[in-house]
Amino acid sequence: MSDQQPLLETRDLSVRYGGVTANQDVSLTVEPGEIVGLIGPNGAGKTTFVDAVTGFARSTGEVRVGGKRVDGLPPHRRRRSGVARTWQAGELFDELTVAQNLAVAVQRPGLRGLIRDVLTGSVPPAATIGSALETVGLVDVADRRPPELSLGQQKMVGVARALVGGTSLLLLDEPAAGLDTHESQHFGVELRRIAAAGPGVLLIDHDMSLVLDVCHRLYVLDFGKVIATGTPEEIRNAPQVVAAYLGSPLVDTAAAVDGGRS
Amino acid sequence: MSVFIQFVFLGLTLGAVYSVFATSLVGVYAATGIVNFAQGSVALWAAYTVAALRTDGTLVLPFGGSLRFGDVTSPMPMVLAVVVGVLSAGLLALLAHLLVFRPLRSAPPLANVAASVGLMLFLQALVVLRFDTDALFAQPVLPFKTFTLGNVVVNASDLIMGGTAVLVALLLWAYFRLTTTGVATRAASEDELAARLVGFSPDRLAAVVWVVTAMASGLIVVLGAYTIGLDPTSYTYYVVPALAVALVGRLTSFGVACAAGLLMGAFQAVLLWANTLEWWPSWAQAGLGDAIPFVVVVIALFVLGGKIPARGALTQVAMPEVRIPRLRPLPVAGVVGLAALAIALTSDSWRFGIVTSLILSLIALSLVLLTGYLGQISLASMAFAGTAGFTLSKATTEWHVPFPISIVLSAGLATLLGVGVGIPALRIRGAQLAVVTLAAAFAIQSFVFNNPSFTPYSGNLIGTPNLFGLDLSVRRGTDLITLRFSMLVLVVVTTTTLVVMRWMAGSTGRSFLAVRSNERAAASVGINVAATKLLGFALSAFLSGVAGCLIGYSRGQLSAASFSVVAGLSLLAIAYCGGITSVGGALVAGFIGPLGVFYVFLNQTLDLGQYYQVISAGGLLLMAVTNPVGAAGANAEMLRRLRRRRSEHSSTSARTPTVAPAKGLTSKVETHV
Repeated sequence: MSDQQPLLETRDLSVRYGGVTANQDVSLTVEPGEIVGLIGPNGAGKTTFVDAVTGFARSTGEVRVGGKRVDGLPPHRRRRSGVARTWQAGELFDELTVAQNLAVAVQRPGLRGLIRDVLTGSVPPAATIGSALETVGLVDVADRRPPELSLGQQKMVGVARALVGGTSLLLLDEPAAGLDTHESQHFGVELRRIAAAGPGVLLIDHDMSLVLDVCHRLYVLDFGKVIATGTPEEIRNAPQVVAAYLGSPLVDTAAAVDGGRS
Repeated sequence: MSVFIQFVFLGLTLGAVYSVFATSLVGVYAATGIVNFAQGSVALWAAYTVAALRTDGTLVLPFGGSLRFGDVTSPMPMVLAVVVGVLSAGLLALLAHLLVFRPLRSAPPLANVAASVGLMLFLQALVVLRFDTDALFAQPVLPFKTFTLGNVVVNASDLIMGGTAVLVALLLWAYFRLTTTGVATRAASEDELAARLVGFSPDRLAAVVWVVTAMASGLIVVLGAYTIGLDPTSYTYYVVPALAVALVGRLTSFGVACAAGLLMGAFQAVLLWANTLEWWPSWAQAGLGDAIPFVVVVIALFVLGGKIPARGALTQVAMPEVRIPRLRPLPVAGVVGLAALAIALTSDSWRFGIVTSLILSLIALSLVLLTGYLGQISLASMAFAGTAGFTLSKATTEWHVPFPISIVLSAGLATLLGVGVGIPALRIRGAQLAVVTLAAAFAIQSFVFNNPSFTPYSGNLIGTPNLFGLDLSVRRGTDLITLRFSMLVLVVVTTTTLVVMRWMAGSTGRSFLAVRSNERAAASVGINVAATKLLGFALSAFLSGVAGCLIGYSRGQLSAASFSVVAGLSLLAIAYCGGITSVGGALVAGFIGPLGVFYVFLNQTLDLGQYYQVISAGGLLLMAVTNPVGAAGANAEMLRRLRRRRSEHSSTSARTPTVAPAKGLTSKVETHV
């Protein structure tokens, strides 16, 4: 490895919920411009890992972003250090329009915000928001509210919201669930384009063709532990991965319902 | 020491009332998920019913006439009167369930708070209207016997009260834990559909709990009224300490609620005794007992830790719709011009009503920002206003702070208080937060506003406002309210409202709405949720504080009655129904609010001033039931549908392939954000 610090580095990250160990000693890195996949059967601890990195689950071990420790910081501080995430269940602001959902991520509240509101009206930066929406192909619905959109579109709004407001690392929790095959392929292309511009991406998804197609490297989780890591080609043939998936097809389209943990 | 124990026993009677109210609240919460602020006023009705029956055999009906069951020489027998009184409480609760709370089953929590506060105010006003409250006294129900325990003389009645409270708690506990219907009631509260599928009717189960708890609360008040004394306000507000102890039991434990209630009564009695001690500081002589509930709530929430279980909901409850305001010069100028014209064309009480409405709308606006936008229910707005008002009195008369700075200084102090009251909001939400803020409001009212050490009974004069030598005082000669002062109020209220509208339409409003909508997601986009909530409380308290200063200047002299908690409660309820998410709703609330234009209209034009509270609280209930998301919510929904239809028409015709998408978006973002 080079001297340069990885964008995201976790060392021996563990999360326990009561007696259950959801993540155990997970060590993982994401480099700038890299798309890293995180796969595993339902309940393997993928979402928990994202929760732990973004500050929504209590964890032990180290989390470094650009070399700086962020474990122990509250979620909003981690977001401000460049770590953005999406949610499995969308978690959009239903009362705000799509454009306003993004605007909230750009202009944060505070005393400065109060003065800016009065003096300038705090018009959201249309160019920033526009290009983020263009990336996910949702320019047409900028003034709609999330409940009026399809599940797939809501997920994409979540991705766009994670893109704005200073993002160096993108953690995507099943963004493609709800997209059809064609949309999923298009999303893969866009994801490559996003990563090429600099940010690192950690992608969780059950759409194996998407994951194997776009990711540079993969980590496989089972029962909270990393059981394999490597390129998509290596993972496809790793015996322990096949064993973990035994009894369930490798391409598992059923979305895991493991929300409500935090 | 024996005196100490003596007072502990004396406190059992009041403690029993707290205790039964608290266990009743726990029961209602377990069955319906509603925090019933009206628990005390239902019991109040029972107490006055018994008092009237025992005086001259009159059975007062809530509406229409009354029935006679005897006369002054031979009133209704005691046992029968108690039974009728207790039944009346049960009947009122059944009506409340059928007419108010059942229709609001799937409404937002704020609708339930508004409705139960409305019911509380309505019943209290009804008691004052229907009963001759000045002439009626409670008569003894329990025996006068005393006996000695060691060297302490104990009233049998105190022990019977305490025993009754324990019995009520035991029975409620047994009902909810041991009987099939009780368990089904809890289950139905958590999952209505599942309960229906198994063959229970959640409505009927809830109705049973409403009636039983109301009868228990009625009984304990009827039994204790002779010892405690009967007046139309105190029982209504005993719900505050009761809520505090119910919170100690996490709104789920009958045992803890019962024990904590008895303890609080005993503790307050001991405080009364402590007041007579020589070394007891004079500042602690008034209102400390009423401040205890707030302290208890804070301890329950922070020191004991743990969370109050929220009621399981099948679907996401709807929040009141929001329409982000757009500042258009013409309508703004129109409204301001109209107000100026109204002020210029009126005088004396009408003009005073208009000015009061303007000031109240500012307080309502503070609630729009905090409750409508940020989703934090606060019942303490009047306490913030009062804090600023009393500070203004000190600032102008003792420290001689000149006019505009005096307002900023006083409102600044209210802001600090607002942040303090807002801290519990970092842990709890919804109706529980309403309880905490209500307890805080009572603590401030009793301990600060009613405490002669801070606010002398001799009056809190306020210096006349002067600006660059211009006399802006409210009165001149026989003129009750001068044009100059009225215009000053109009200018201050207009400027502040415009600033608030900019906040609502800007990044602050959007972030508030984001926090209201989804705290987790808000944190994930980088919003500091805790700081944002405190910011909301600070801004809201500041606005209320400015309004409190204007109230101060308009009265020239302040008393605790200028900022009663009740006025704050009705203002929130009115603001909710007028539209808690819009500036228009705040204006409506100011119009209808206490001593505002609507009151003057009732009082001067219709000569119905004494019906003001019944009419406004009754109207409030009606609005809350027919329009659970608020009037503005309903209007906004309709408008949005209309606009959607129109924009769909225009966008399909205007869509041309040559328009670049990014450009199209730019204009869209600008027009819609």
